[in-house]
Amino acid sequence: MKRLVLLLVVPFVVWAQPEFFGYFESELDIMQQGSQRYSFGYNKLRLDIESRPSDNILIGANFIAQKYWGKTNWNVYDFIPGYADTELEDYYALPDTLFLDNVYMKIAFPWLDLTLGRQQISPGVGYAWNPTDIFNKKSLMDPSYEQTGVEVIRLDIPISNRTTFGVIVQPSQTLKTSTQQYTLSSGVGSFDFSLTSSYQKQQDLNSTILGHDYIYERQLHGGSIIGEFLGWGVWTEFAQNVINEQPPIFSSSLIAPDMDFTEYVIGVDHTFDNSIYLLGEYLHNGFGIAKKEDLTLYEYFPSLLGETHSLMQDYGFVYIMHPTFDYITLSSLVIASFNDKSGTVAPQLDWNAFEDTNISLQSSFSWGEDDTEFGLQDWGIRLRIRGNF
Amino acid sequence: MKKSILLVIVLAVPFVSGQDQRAVEIVRRVTELMSQPNVKSLGTQTITTSSGKQRTFEFEAWTGNRGEKSLTRYTKPAAIRGQAFLTLNNADDIWTYFPRTKRVRKLASHAKKQKVQGSDFTYEDMGGGDVFMVKFVPRYLGEELKNGDVCHKVELIGIQPEDPPYPKIILWARTSDFVPVFLDYYDETDFNIKSLSMTDIQDIEGIPTAMKMVMTDHKEKSSTSMVNLEVTYQWTPPKNFFSERNLKK
Repeated sequence: MKRLVLLLVVPFVVWAQPEFFGYFESELDIMQQGSQRYSFGYNKLRLDIESRPSDNILIGANFIAQKYWGKTNWNVYDFIPGYADTELEDYYALPDTLFLDNVYMKIAFPWLDLTLGRQQISPGVGYAWNPTDIFNKKSLMDPSYEQTGVEVIRLDIPISNRTTFGVIVQPSQTLKTSTQQYTLSSGVGSFDFSLTSSYQKQQDLNSTILGHDYIYERQLHGGSIIGEFLGWGVWTEFAQNVINEQPPIFSSSLIAPDMDFTEYVIGVDHTFDNSIYLLGEYLHNGFGIAKKEDLTLYEYFPSLLGETHSLMQDYGFVYIMHPTFDYITLSSLVIASFNDKSGTVAPQLDWNAFEDTNISLQSSFSWGEDDTEFGLQDWGIRLRIRGNF
Repeated sequence: MKKSILLVIVLAVPFVSGQDQRAVEIVRRVTELMSQPNVKSLGTQTITTSSGKQRTFEFEAWTGNRGEKSLTRYTKPAAIRGQAFLTLNNADDIWTYFPRTKRVRKLASHAKKQKVQGSDFTYEDMGGGDVFMVKFVPRYLGEELKNGDVCHKVELIGIQPEDPPYPKIILWARTSDFVPVFLDYYDETDFNIKSLSMTDIQDIEGIPTAMKMVMTDHKEKSSTSMVNLEVTYQWTPPKNFFSERNLKK
């Protein structure tokens, strides 16, 4: 698929006088966890190429060269309460990379938009969490950061001015093993809404870790509503997940027999007259664990590796922001896990130092017992500088 | 005494009513002029902060249905290239598009008061249509010299149930052709919070058009200058141009 797309795209890019843009980003992180202090970071160059050979065709690609420094080998057990001081090891390395993150071609016919190739998919209306998103998992500390591209075929069929039917297929060997997502989105008055149905055949990560590749089927039926009520922005995004096949081996695995689950987000936001912007979200993830005592490695691994939207069941997210000075924005986010009573507060300063240069400094301070999701970490600092071109 | 008061009232009513009728007509002519069926433009937006620092953006903009719909897409600087916003129903409905995340987000009506890209214009200020006619009651205040032109001066008082963008606006429009050249915006305490000055009026395809608009925020001591580099009224939006689909294009 990737080669085919490359063969199709490269001649167009050469012929169609592309535009080049992108950014250089450098990040420094310091993290204190118990007696351990880690420092790490990366330098990243993103080069975007975009070309419009005609009004109806857009060809885009972006390359990412990313070089990590500091601590680049991470033992997953260091982030699992109760295992940090054991001999268990499962290292994940962050190797320097040079890769084609997105490469796609979008063709706009009068009756549909067809997008082929590796592209960013951003379903849902939630800010911190998207229950209907089967392709990505957001970073809670930076939910609006760009996502990695996904190799899909995407169709958007406009039915009326505000109504669109969308199909996304992540091709595999057969249609039955391909991930599929169908979305009908529309709007009435001040409200937009969507209905989503997805089908996914996915590898059970826990079975892979334990040496047995087990594939299961997941069906997701959900939707979203976004609008306003009494002057506040309001939204909800929900998904009912049905696991169609049961695992033959693991009773406490990722897909135990009773693991059909519901996931939803409820959110509100408002800009006050003094320019303070406030956003709040509540997540319930039925796949998460309600009591920290019930957590096992089988829950930690998929969560740490981004396979699930959350570790626990109930979370709150608050983001408050104010453009305090010229080109300086002060903000803070608070994330709380209601189940294990842990959380983190992360004040942030964003400075648009020059027209195309942004500097952000974020710190985070956690609370909760040492064996909780956020309480495991004490504090952290992140300095990020981005220069766009 | 009672008779004379009654006489004054009886005589004054037609006079006031006549003045208001004149104000209504001026606002109608201004709205007609400012709300052309369709407009396509290229422009720059320069924000000058209270400390004198400047940022310049470039954008392309389209408005349709006499300003009721609009789409604005930023082309420079690189940091915000491709960011766009769509407004429908005179900015009552706003969608924004972020190309880095390929995400479209619907904003609630409180966002109308938000500054567009940190400028002194709010989304609401960018919306057009017949807002002056349906959300305000006009009152004629006479003729006055403004920006070097003889102007009609009209006070617009917001009709609260209609959710006006400002409680009060004072508008100066040239007597010769009803081109608005200056607006003062007031808050609930009757403080003049912002002023919009429109200059460099040029004849574009037979329509007098302000090529430069400067919004000054008197509270924050900042200003934003919007300069039209190209304007055409001879543009017809393709079907469903003002849609979420086109926002992401």
